[in-house]
Amino acid sequence: MINDKNSQKIVDIIQNWSRKHSIWVLAYGTGCGAIEIPPTMTSRYDAERLGVRGAATPRQADVLLITGYLTTKTLKRVIRVYEQMQDPKYVIGFGSCTINGGMYYDSYNTIKVLDKYLPVDVYINGCMPRPESVLAGFGKLQELIGDGKANGADKYKENLDWYRANQKKIIPNWVMPEYNW
Amino acid sequence: MREKATTLYFGPQHPGITGNMMVRVKVEGDTIVKATTEVGYLHRAFEKLQEKRNWLQSFTMMCRFCVPETDPMEESYSRAVEAIEGREVPERAKYIRVMVLELARLASFMLWYGGQNGSLGLYTMGQWSVGDRNYILDLFEELTGGRVYHMYIWPGGVRRDLPKGFEQKVLKTLDYLENRLNDYDDLMFDNAIFKKRTQGVGIVDKGKAIEHGVVGAVLRGCGIKSDIRIDDPYEVYDKLDFEVPTAEGGDIWARALVRRQEARQSIRIIRQAIADMPGGSFYNKIPNPQKWTIPKGDAYVRTESVRGEIGMYIASDGGTMPRRVHLRGAAYVHGITLLEDVLMGENIADISAIMNSLGTCPPEIER
Amino acid sequence: MQQLKANLIEHIKTSFKDARVQDYPDENRLDFYVNKQCIPSILTYAKDRLGYIHLSHIAIVDWLEEGEFELIYIIWSPEEKIKMFVRTRLDRENPVIANIDMIWRQANTYEREFREMYGIQFQGLEAPEEFILEDWNGPPPMRRDFDTEAYANETFFHRPGREDALDVREEIIKRSREEIPEFAKKYSR
Repeated sequence: MINDKNSQKIVDIIQNWSRKHSIWVLAYGTGCGAIEIPPTMTSRYDAERLGVRGAATPRQADVLLITGYLTTKTLKRVIRVYEQMQDPKYVIGFGSCTINGGMYYDSYNTIKVLDKYLPVDVYINGCMPRPESVLAGFGKLQELIGDGKANGADKYKENLDWYRANQKKIIPNWVMPEYNW
Repeated sequence: MREKATTLYFGPQHPGITGNMMVRVKVEGDTIVKATTEVGYLHRAFEKLQEKRNWLQSFTMMCRFCVPETDPMEESYSRAVEAIEGREVPERAKYIRVMVLELARLASFMLWYGGQNGSLGLYTMGQWSVGDRNYILDLFEELTGGRVYHMYIWPGGVRRDLPKGFEQKVLKTLDYLENRLNDYDDLMFDNAIFKKRTQGVGIVDKGKAIEHGVVGAVLRGCGIKSDIRIDDPYEVYDKLDFEVPTAEGGDIWARALVRRQEARQSIRIIRQAIADMPGGSFYNKIPNPQKWTIPKGDAYVRTESVRGEIGMYIASDGGTMPRRVHLRGAAYVHGITLLEDVLMGENIADISAIMNSLGTCPPEIER
Repeated sequence: MQQLKANLIEHIKTSFKDARVQDYPDENRLDFYVNKQCIPSILTYAKDRLGYIHLSHIAIVDWLEEGEFELIYIIWSPEEKIKMFVRTRLDRENPVIANIDMIWRQANTYEREFREMYGIQFQGLEAPEEFILEDWNGPPPMRRDFDTEAYANETFFHRPGREDALDVREEIIKRSREEIPEFAKKYSR
């Protein structure tokens, strides 16, 4: 049985290399920024040459792309979708509304900082970002995967109580299943 | 023997819906018995936020109301503020506004082609038309600085003049796009599968259409000729020469025929606007925005966008901040009461095609 | 246009004697101020007899200082091409008015939104309770005395500012004392 550190490293390198060249994005347009996704996926700024394509259901997707602001009603559905996705999974925050609330900083219905509710790996800023910025964001995610540093999913499992406390503070009617993987 | 009724959620995360909304359908077998629309996933309370910002700051929020086509919102806000204050707009600015509005209409048509055909399974059309839409967005980027959010048409005129050589670029792009529209016709309208799936589906009843408040291309697809640019003209539309197409039947096929003709009429309007454009100033300067007050009064203006009629009501109480900005988009009436009525008795497989054809864009419904 | 407006004023004044009229001579617009009890009958009369078949918008303004809500029904006639505004006022403490969705089906959506956002009671309205907000247990949010910034600060986290936060105007003045190329001189301070 080959189980020492060197062979584990070789397996890791091959695994990360193959994962970073095939990233499937969930088809969910949560906000404004969903208007720049069709140009990114079609003929001029072709994202499929990097291995990025759309996936229809959460069980088949790798990346959850939060395009823009999130209201509390959508946050409840996004959490449920995130917990249905299988490991390894990543989250990309798109636009300046996920960073600090953007121009809706005093609205009673949008959340201001995404980091407290879901673990984010890469932020892309802009309002809204150009397709070239989106491709640069995917490139940065590929770099992180190759180095083995994109571990938002592990952070979620370890600090689950802290994330749950933040989520339950703004969602009063909690009717979701238990997260057990 | 009747089958048992089940409830399905055509929900927020779905590859076939036009945005972030949900339709809850009760089905027996494959046929829909009752449909309920649920919105509220994109509510930001724009109108409440605009009461805390002054007149020029709340103008920057206007373009984010409806994302596929952003210029009609800015234009209605500017026209309403000018109507309350009594501000004059120079002639050249009006022609530039008409050109920008019609270019935004063309870009939105390209996106509609992709969406409507994608819902039936013809994915080639999406690749062609969204790729060609990028040429129009390049023109916008040179003129205003941004691809999607322009913030170019503001109260008093437009923000800056056309760059040198811009008109020739526009005409070259229009020649290219006119050829491409013929290619789209061959792929889409001569296609036997498209005809079979869209004729007789999603019928809007002509007798009850006005009671439901139907506007825009949906009303023209029922055979009634109505267009704000001719009934209640604004800017310089009464000096330009164009036609308003109609079709009979009220199903998805009729609405697609109407939109196919409107794309060609838009190209005709832009060519006339460029040929007739006078010289002169492009802006009637507003005073210092921190101290700009509008006298007491109110106004209601209407604009024709790709989906239908956009109505904007603004009330002022004599201060530096608006008292009330109340907007009504075309999807407000098409998305809730009309959709629930049209979906009765249809197949589950056609929900996506019907939603794309009626033009339900959720950010307009809940602002 | 003036002749059509005069005919309309005469028709309305014969049936509804205490309606007040305001005319806008330069535009195709005519305002009528009525009591809230007359709203269903004046709208039905305009739709069936006078040809005003299209309901364009129902607008609402909150006059906090006077203690009233104002509702404005905007209807349009495709033949005469005149916009008719029918305006009425409701008391802010107890706002009740009749429901009109048997005249125009689309009024159902407007009334649901006003019931949720402003707290107005519509007699005879049948629709589910929640429309846009979910699990909301505060006051109706669009009223002018609800402070949205205080609510947002209390419920949500904010990202703190940068530690090396610089003052924007001072930096611009400092940098404008550097060497500026010729073509950019007209844009600097």
